[in-house]
Amino acid sequence: MHLNTDELVDIAEGTRTEASAPHLGVCEPCRARLHELRAMLSAARDVHVPEPSPLFWDHLSSRVSDAVAAEGAPRSAWLDVTAWHRLLTPAWAVTASLVVIVALSSRLMAPQPPAATLNGSPYTAAPPPPPPLAAVIADTSTGTDVLGDAASDDASLMLVASLTSALDLDAASDAGLAPSGSAEHAVTHMSDSELRELGRLLKEELARSGA
Amino acid sequence: MPVADSGPLAELDERALVDACLAQRAGAFDLIVERHRRAVYQLCYRFVGHHEDASDLSQDVFLRAYRGLHSFRGQSTLATWLYRIGVNVCLNRVSAKTTLGKLTEPIAERQFVDVHAESPSERVLKHERGARVRAAIARLPRKQRATLILRMYHEMSHQEIADVLGSSVGAVKANFFHALANLKKLLGETI
Repeated sequence: MHLNTDELVDIAEGTRTEASAPHLGVCEPCRARLHELRAMLSAARDVHVPEPSPLFWDHLSSRVSDAVAAEGAPRSAWLDVTAWHRLLTPAWAVTASLVVIVALSSRLMAPQPPAATLNGSPYTAAPPPPPPLAAVIADTSTGTDVLGDAASDDASLMLVASLTSALDLDAASDAGLAPSGSAEHAVTHMSDSELRELGRLLKEELARSGA
Repeated sequence: MPVADSGPLAELDERALVDACLAQRAGAFDLIVERHRRAVYQLCYRFVGHHEDASDLSQDVFLRAYRGLHSFRGQSTLATWLYRIGVNVCLNRVSAKTTLGKLTEPIAERQFVDVHAESPSERVLKHERGARVRAAIARLPRKQRATLILRMYHEMSHQEIADVLGSSVGAVKANFFHALANLKKLLGETI
């Protein structure tokens, strides 16, 4: 069997001896590949970076210093907009997905009203309108029961509420539902002030998108 | 008093120096720049082959590092962390097309001071050979190029390169192998 790339690289770099690969002694293609690797290592090694003027280094430092001064103080993780975007994008996607799932299941599982007859022609009474979605998620910022009153008169929401009320966050994390580093993990490990801020941002986003 | 707030800056370890920067201690970030500017510049130069661009990219690397200092957790060395930023900046900014046009930087523009006793003809030949190799490296696929540069010119271990590129040691070795093989194809018999 021919030498693999790992073995060829190790031998070409000298971290492994040729003697440790007896195959080389009987395989001309492997020897040719090794020879090419060594030739390219040698060619690449001979390319040097021109040394700039000694004055350049101080010039670079002062350019960086000026740019940093214009930048202001280093941002804390809390104020890092990029980090918040990274966090909120998946968090928003998860929230939106949950809302859609709850809304769809609410419609699909809603009890059908009994058929009635009016003046001899059958008609179906219109079901009561579902609660507005905004009301369903209104309490996310306070950490209170997300489903609230909306669950009390809807079988599907009651089912979700009863299941989630018994769900321990640590157990969910252990089950891999919110692995460390995920948006869910980050959200469930926020402080009170961070949760309030997240709720405020989500509400702003909802208002902006017209949801 | 926290370590970052006391003692001469030069005596602080990397973590304490970063903390001193975050605490806005005067001169702390300047010291980080001073310690790593040569390596960062050389990394950038390897990618772009042009002094002015390498200078601009180096500034960008340090500015991004400053913005992201709070995310430095000390799990790698500061140098490795800066290399990671540098590789991302260079790969994002530089396309092979824009690089190739500048790789033949005229000798007169270069600030290279050759201290070796070479004859003028030897120097010209060496420069031309180096320019061909640099141009070939610039045409390598992104990860192969980054792997080759970090391994050949910054003497990083395969594991360190894997940390910088977010890949495995096996993938780094495979990239390195293919980078050298492609270099051979690009250079042909000219080297």
